[in-house]
Amino acid sequence: MTLFTLDQATREARLLPELVELTEHHRANSPEYARLLASLGHHPGRRYERIADLPWLPVRLFKHHVLKSITDDEVFKVLTSSGTTGDVSRIYLDKEAAGLQQKMLSATLSPVIGPRRLPMLLVDTRALFKDRRSFSARGAGVLGLMNFGRDHTFVLDENDRPDLEAVRAFLDKHGDQPFLIFGFTFMTWLYLYELARENKLDLSNGILIHSGGWKKLTDRAVDNDEFRRRFAEETGLRRIHNFYGMVEQIGLTFLEGTDGGGLYCPDFSDIIIRDPRTWEEVPVGTPGVVQVVSTLPRSYPGHLLLTEDQGVVHGVDDGVWPGKRFSILGRLPRAEARGCSDTFAEAA
Amino acid sequence: MSKVIERFPAGGAIDVDDLLAALRNTPAGGPLTVGDDRVVEFLVAFARRLLRPAVARRYPELGSLGFFLRRAEINKLLARVADEPGQLRFPRGTVFHVPPANVDTIFVYSWALSALAGNANVVRISSRSAGAADAVLDALNDTLAEADEAVRQTQRMVTYGRDDVVTGALSAAADLRVIWGGDRSVNEIRRHPLAPHARDVTFPDRSSFTVLSSAGWLGADERERDAAALGLYNDSYWFDQAACSSPRTLYWVGDAADTEAARTDLLARLRAVLDGKRPEVDAAMAVEKRVATYGLAVDGTATAIRFDGNELATVELADPADIPRRWLGVGTFPQARVDTLAELAPLVVRRDQTVTHFGFKAEELVDFARTVAGRGVDRIVPIGDALSFAATWDGYDLMREFTRITSIIAR
Repeated sequence: MTLFTLDQATREARLLPELVELTEHHRANSPEYARLLASLGHHPGRRYERIADLPWLPVRLFKHHVLKSITDDEVFKVLTSSGTTGDVSRIYLDKEAAGLQQKMLSATLSPVIGPRRLPMLLVDTRALFKDRRSFSARGAGVLGLMNFGRDHTFVLDENDRPDLEAVRAFLDKHGDQPFLIFGFTFMTWLYLYELARENKLDLSNGILIHSGGWKKLTDRAVDNDEFRRRFAEETGLRRIHNFYGMVEQIGLTFLEGTDGGGLYCPDFSDIIIRDPRTWEEVPVGTPGVVQVVSTLPRSYPGHLLLTEDQGVVHGVDDGVWPGKRFSILGRLPRAEARGCSDTFAEAA
Repeated sequence: MSKVIERFPAGGAIDVDDLLAALRNTPAGGPLTVGDDRVVEFLVAFARRLLRPAVARRYPELGSLGFFLRRAEINKLLARVADEPGQLRFPRGTVFHVPPANVDTIFVYSWALSALAGNANVVRISSRSAGAADAVLDALNDTLAEADEAVRQTQRMVTYGRDDVVTGALSAAADLRVIWGGDRSVNEIRRHPLAPHARDVTFPDRSSFTVLSSAGWLGADERERDAAALGLYNDSYWFDQAACSSPRTLYWVGDAADTEAARTDLLARLRAVLDGKRPEVDAAMAVEKRVATYGLAVDGTATAIRFDGNELATVELADPADIPRRWLGVGTFPQARVDTLAELAPLVVRRDQTVTHFGFKAEELVDFARTVAGRGVDRIVPIGDALSFAATWDGYDLMREFTRITSIIAR
């Protein structure tokens, strides 16, 4: 079973009416969202020819405002994002949405990891879970993925040092069968790659799922191609899948194809790259700001979100899976939110 | 040992205690006085450098500064603190200035007035200073060659990192501390005690708005309207509409029909200015504006949002009293209509600083100020003059703040 089946024309034809219905659903159930649509001149009954014509929300709105389409009584779970500036997104889920979240993540990953739970190597530290108060988005990300594996082994010890003995023991026990590896991209490179190369560890039965972006690796001149090439050459690890997702898009994971040629959209989703001057969709090959599209969010109006990431579509229906094939290029710089006289903080 | 880097006079690292010791020495030509010739000559020579076409063209705000410091203007400033029968004016002593990082020339006004009052000054310059601020420092250092030694000794501009020891030492040594900063910075700096006799002059977060008479607009000629559109551009787009005095909300005063016509006309003229000036609004700023304006709609403050390119966003306020006072990104104008200027008076709060105006008679503005009765609003100035610094700022008469009085009664 795979969620990467729809070509672009079929996908758009299928998603458009669902997204219009979702827009009306959120208008009817979130007064805040309804006010925003009215302010922007998107009135009920308006016809939309293309997904790109539907009104989108900047993702940061979820950091400053409560936006939900369920009653307070129906709130089952509130997801929060990490925020470097202290702001966090709050995403409200009812029971149904919470169930859907895990189910769709699982369905998205199944074509690359298969139906069974595999032994799992986590490129992180168990200390991540020790202190509940400091439980971070990184912790939540690791925890979410842990469900897909068994016999979990952490690559780092409690002092954040690579634990060669633990990794060796794991590989001795499970290394001759398929096993799962999960980690943030930069940690996977800094800790697992280095450790495996220096100690000639064999990762050739591994399936690596990683995410988090390349920013921390740019000064090492490591990009996606280099990452895949060096892992393959030095450790035998060839089944590598980058992914892209965010807390504000429940259950949606954009997954890298088997050949490393780009990220793909599961069938219930799409991606639109916009020109930051005109906000129109740009042609294939032109970088712009990433808008994510998903039919999953019913409990909060997050079905059409403008991210603060830059990306580029490389091709449409031309890769290992159908639909748009794209890359994330990095984050937009954040405009400094300012008080009027803003004495430089370092003086204080 | 806590060091600071000397930016003016340009030098290297110096210990803060050595800096303060040098300030305490009496200058060779005697202590500075209010309106001391050695300082006046220096300021006039400095202003001449700022008014050179090459500088003023590149940094128009430095042209304004140069104008502010011409000899005739200085004489006017000094007249405010001239000696009177039975009353002599003296410098306060040592003044420590903490200017903002984002409006990068305000430190010069603050310092120049204090120097003119005869004080020894230490100004903290942001390590992030760039552009106009660096041009100011270059001009100051160039002017120093012809200056009296007393200027070099008593006027200091320094940069230092986050260092409580330095801030503490400079605060303890100050007779007056001038804090240009957001509310948070003012509170942070205030943790450092002053000497018992000393005090603070603070410039916390402020916000500003514009009032336009709809009938006044329609009665104005083409030239006046174009000038007002350009003035609104200058007031708002310099400093990314983030200066305290930059207007945010535009209030139209008049009936609905006049207002509709006047507003459409102003926005068309502002659009023409934008097409000529082409201000840079990058993707991050464009997103910031969407987040800010969409947020106003979400919380019910706004009833309509319109984007005319990334450079110009207008927002219709549901209620004129619900004025957004926070920064919304450059080129973002909430708008509302009221029937009379007096209707605006109740919504004024202490935080409101500058009201820029167009199309009103002087009596109307005076009546408005009387109705507000000092609960807020420190300046009421024509559209286009929002950023023009004046020696009376945030309600302070700065030359008087920077001096002290000795009264003499001879029987």
